[in-house]
Amino acid sequence: MKDVARMMRLAGVIFGVFFSLQDVQAEPYIAVETGLRCGTCHVSPSGGGMRTAYGNIYSQTDFVAHKLGDHKPWTGEIGRYFAVGGDARWGWVRQDVPGQPAEESTDLEEFLAYVQIKPFPKYFSLYIDAKVLPDDAVVREQYAKLNLPGGEWWVRAGEFFLPYGFRLQDDEAFIRQVSGINYNTPDAGWELGYESGKWSAQLAVTRGTAGGPEVDSGKQYSARVSYVRQDWRVGGSFNFNDAAAGDRQMQNVFAGLNTGPLTWLAEVDYIIDDGAPTGRRKLWASLVEANWGYRQGHNLKLTFEWFDPDDEVDEDERNRVSLVWEYAPIHFMQGRVGYRRYDGIPQNAAQNREQFFAELHLWF
Amino acid sequence: MPTILRPVNLHAACGNLPGMTDDNSIGSLVAAFGRESRWRVTGLLLCAIALDGCGAGSGEGLDIAGRPLAEGGDVPLAATLESIQVNVFDASCIDCHAGAAAPLGLRLDAPNSYTNLVGVPSQQNSSLLRVDPGKPDSSYLVQKLEGTASEGGRMPLGGPSVPDSTIAFVRQWIADGALPTETGELDGPTVVVSMEPPPSSILRSLPAEIVVGFDREIDASTINLFTFLLDRSVDGVFGNGDDLALSPASVAASPANSRVAIVDIGSIDPAEDTYRLTVTGSGPNIVLSVAGVALDGEFAGSFPSGDGVEGGDFVATFSVEGVQATLESIQANVFTPSCAVAGCHTGPAGPSLPAGMDLSSADASFANLVGVDSQQSAGDVRVVAGVADASYLVRKLEGTAAVGGRMPIGAAALDATTIAAIRAWIDAGAER
Repeated sequence: MKDVARMMRLAGVIFGVFFSLQDVQAEPYIAVETGLRCGTCHVSPSGGGMRTAYGNIYSQTDFVAHKLGDHKPWTGEIGRYFAVGGDARWGWVRQDVPGQPAEESTDLEEFLAYVQIKPFPKYFSLYIDAKVLPDDAVVREQYAKLNLPGGEWWVRAGEFFLPYGFRLQDDEAFIRQVSGINYNTPDAGWELGYESGKWSAQLAVTRGTAGGPEVDSGKQYSARVSYVRQDWRVGGSFNFNDAAAGDRQMQNVFAGLNTGPLTWLAEVDYIIDDGAPTGRRKLWASLVEANWGYRQGHNLKLTFEWFDPDDEVDEDERNRVSLVWEYAPIHFMQGRVGYRRYDGIPQNAAQNREQFFAELHLWF
Repeated sequence: MPTILRPVNLHAACGNLPGMTDDNSIGSLVAAFGRESRWRVTGLLLCAIALDGCGAGSGEGLDIAGRPLAEGGDVPLAATLESIQVNVFDASCIDCHAGAAAPLGLRLDAPNSYTNLVGVPSQQNSSLLRVDPGKPDSSYLVQKLEGTASEGGRMPLGGPSVPDSTIAFVRQWIADGALPTETGELDGPTVVVSMEPPPSSILRSLPAEIVVGFDREIDASTINLFTFLLDRSVDGVFGNGDDLALSPASVAASPANSRVAIVDIGSIDPAEDTYRLTVTGSGPNIVLSVAGVALDGEFAGSFPSGDGVEGGDFVATFSVEGVQATLESIQANVFTPSCAVAGCHTGPAGPSLPAGMDLSSADASFANLVGVDSQQSAGDVRVVAGVADASYLVRKLEGTAAVGGRMPIGAAALDATTIAAIRAWIDAGAER
């Protein structure tokens, strides 16, 4: 009962805030800002990865500070049946852990390549999302997608990222890290989707091994429904992983709101994990993010996150606060500079670290 | 658990907002909404939540991993799994590597870490074990912690690196044989807690050594050729008079870990057979701990050994088998390790699956091979049940197909014995 009451209270906070303020709308914040579904700008209906022609054009026009002349925008389309794309990110990060020497690194974080083949452009396509660098190449997503006549329903089969909550770029955000559904954990199976008017819904049945081989007969069931309006959206997700090593049930509510200069994201996740060493463990994770697009091409992002690793244990909660400035001067380029502070239990130094980071993001 | 929305001092936290009443409540803030720009109200409300409602825990009564001290409490850093579990896995890894959603199925919580790590091949680099007892440099866990692995980021992903001084304990634990628990000098008899290769395992080739772990330090003088006996069955059955006693090159305590005995069998003829290791706990020559406590060796299939009473031999077997003429054996020894590797014949149907042929499981292989037309060579069938010579699979493996390269492409060709087993399976009807 305590959990239900807390869930309802948290849901109330989110829904209350966004509904009562009426002109609420929600990386995901761009979708909220523009009032569009994820699949408008990304080939994957759940967002992330290759951009659609519209997504490419948007990223060269309304997204950047300076448009370069009247050049014909790049759409990623090579003829009618073929499209390509890519993302590359270089990053510098400095981590200050209390009592330890500061740690700095500069790396090519990832170079991703996307290919879409559309033998029947309106109805059927094949898609591959592969990490090319660094290290060995790894296919992240590979699926075939069939759009059913009428255009509202679609089905895909293969390996893909699961529908659950907001698809944040930051895999270390508590809501993505703790849920285990992020860009590190594609899963294999099939997914049924519905996109129409204000509604977007997905139901997926997958192996439930987070990218690993099938180890038991249990499956993972993921569902996400969102209601999308011009200035706000609200949704919920449910995930059940029937695993021999211990079932895991997750649910969340999420919402986005556009309040003029600010765009908000919020998500609360409640997880029941039966595979914990001490038996059943209940976890909470939440995120509230404000994006201030004070000038075109600029975005200031303030994020507050909270994580309770065990509902039955007091004084183990953690926070993470991030302040990030994002600047997209011209097409295909964005810089990102940020500061992140972690607050956790004092006896674990890593839970109380500070992080400074910068990133150069190129895409096409 | 802090209250998520307790009464907050919004004025103090976020400044006054025109229209707010003096009761200083959320309701008053919402009431003020209509009179102020909505984004500011929203910001103030969320600011209040952030500042007051969801603070970090004080950590009172918890260990470094955030677990109640009553569950075991702080454990000083040491080269033991117990310490590494608390100070490394629990403290830095299990936010992700726990539960059913653990990446790649790699769960590092206390009940699962040992079985998921020690002796288990890495999924990112199948040529390495996650923890290779005695070999920290070639243990993938160490490479991931030190950031030298060939694939993926340094662990903990996105977090601060585990200090070198801590990794040194992980290295030492592995170098010491990667034993499951720290036991110290215990009450009760001496027991066996691990064996590599595992009891009842089926191997493709004879290993160079057998590693046996005990729960305590062993008197090195009792680890010898008289207390570690090795034989093989010759015919698969022990005790019928034809068992063949074998002579290991040496039997000795591990130089790095006096709880581990190493039987060097690198010089033994690697015959396909069932091997039996006997560690004596009864008779004139027995294994003793440094305190003189005898081995309690009876083994019923799971560790630790023993029936609670000193005495009794530890007896375990393992087999070395080449590829058998069954789909299960071919799958385990050929298709899975040589064909269904990342980027080749594995995964769901899609453009990256060569010839649409998934060979990642026996069921998939059967469905994609037996009686299925070749996509590469029109008119050919991949496996013609009962006729190996007519099966395209055999031609691809022998390099006689008219189209494409010899399989496994880019790797060494299968040896004649293995191909013969595949031929035999097909000739026998290619049964599932």
